[in-house]
Amino acid sequence: MARRALWRSGRTEGAVPRIAHLDRDRSLVEAARREPAQFDALYRRYLARVYSYAYYELGDHHLAEDATEATFVAALTNLHRFEERARPSDGEGASTFRVWLFQIARNEVAGERRRMRRRPVEPIGETVIADPLDVESAAVRRDEARAAWRAVGRLPGERRQAMVLRFVDELSTAEIAGVLGRSEGAVRVLIHRALRSVARDLGVSDKAGSERGRTS
Amino acid sequence: MSVLRRDVGEVEALITDRYLDSLLSVQQGAAGSPIGDASAGLGAAVRAVSRRLAADLPRFHPSFRFEERLALRLAEIAAMRMPVAVGGEAQVAAIRRIHPSTPDPLSAGGTGGGHGAGDDRADNRPLLVGGAVAASALSLAGAWLAWRRRTSPMARAIRAAHHLRQTGA
Repeated sequence: MARRALWRSGRTEGAVPRIAHLDRDRSLVEAARREPAQFDALYRRYLARVYSYAYYELGDHHLAEDATEATFVAALTNLHRFEERARPSDGEGASTFRVWLFQIARNEVAGERRRMRRRPVEPIGETVIADPLDVESAAVRRDEARAAWRAVGRLPGERRQAMVLRFVDELSTAEIAGVLGRSEGAVRVLIHRALRSVARDLGVSDKAGSERGRTS
Repeated sequence: MSVLRRDVGEVEALITDRYLDSLLSVQQGAAGSPIGDASAGLGAAVRAVSRRLAADLPRFHPSFRFEERLALRLAEIAAMRMPVAVGGEAQVAAIRRIHPSTPDPLSAGGTGGGHGAGDDRADNRPLLVGGAVAASALSLAGAWLAWRRRTSPMARAIRAAHHLRQTGA
């Protein structure tokens, strides 16, 4: 989740102070711009998050590695193009390094999915993506986790991406809005509806949050 | 969908968002607003599913072999994009070709010496292009060592033929 770090600028006499969002990665980004070898710190910080996002979306370790590699190579070679230039209406945190990084990751994942469709090894459903917990069953054996992921995996594209970015990568709503290119309000509604869909899918009712105990 | 119903949906979404902020910040160990305040008016099902997803969805890490391989590749790319130090800005210049008959400036009388007629060593110098040459030179040295150290019948036959050609037998 985004840390709400704010700083005031434009403190001139009589002027209304402007609130600008402070990118938590700004110092690392500036260091990497001065000396590209310093990009390693950003790479280590975000590797697992980008990889997780790719893995949840693609359901295959090799494809996730390819997408992750392409993401970081593109980020490093285009770092000079990154600039914080969100409009105030975009919400705080809408233009940070990690939003930019996940935008690249999203594009790379979409590219991998297009390539998967061109050369499908196994039939790929329209909306149901592969279940990574099948592969990771040795590490994650709990039926509840499996059922929860399957329910998320059955969500349509943007709802699923928003849920993974929110719960796995722990991005704020404003950051997800930046990644998906939607307004903050639209993302809030997207996630709220996704949660209701998952609740229905898991058999969780509003009556004291009880479950029917369904595990698919 | 009526305007009223849409507004109700947006308010619910806003409450859910506040609740998730609190839930995830508590998970991270950060000081957030108490969840109780944020969840007022929120459906029990949404609360239960949110807690379950926050607790159950794992984050994956790639293999360490992949991590280090990609780190190495990024370091190589970074080395190629290294900014030039102040005062060291490079300019493109034609490489001056040294003809074998060019007199050695250090030899006595400034004539002859160094490379005699027919000595083509001056033309065989490696072309230095930043740090890329060091790696390629190491690779060539490695290949040469591997060739010298190989003990396969084929390698022995090649060395024998090479020796015969040198001795003129």
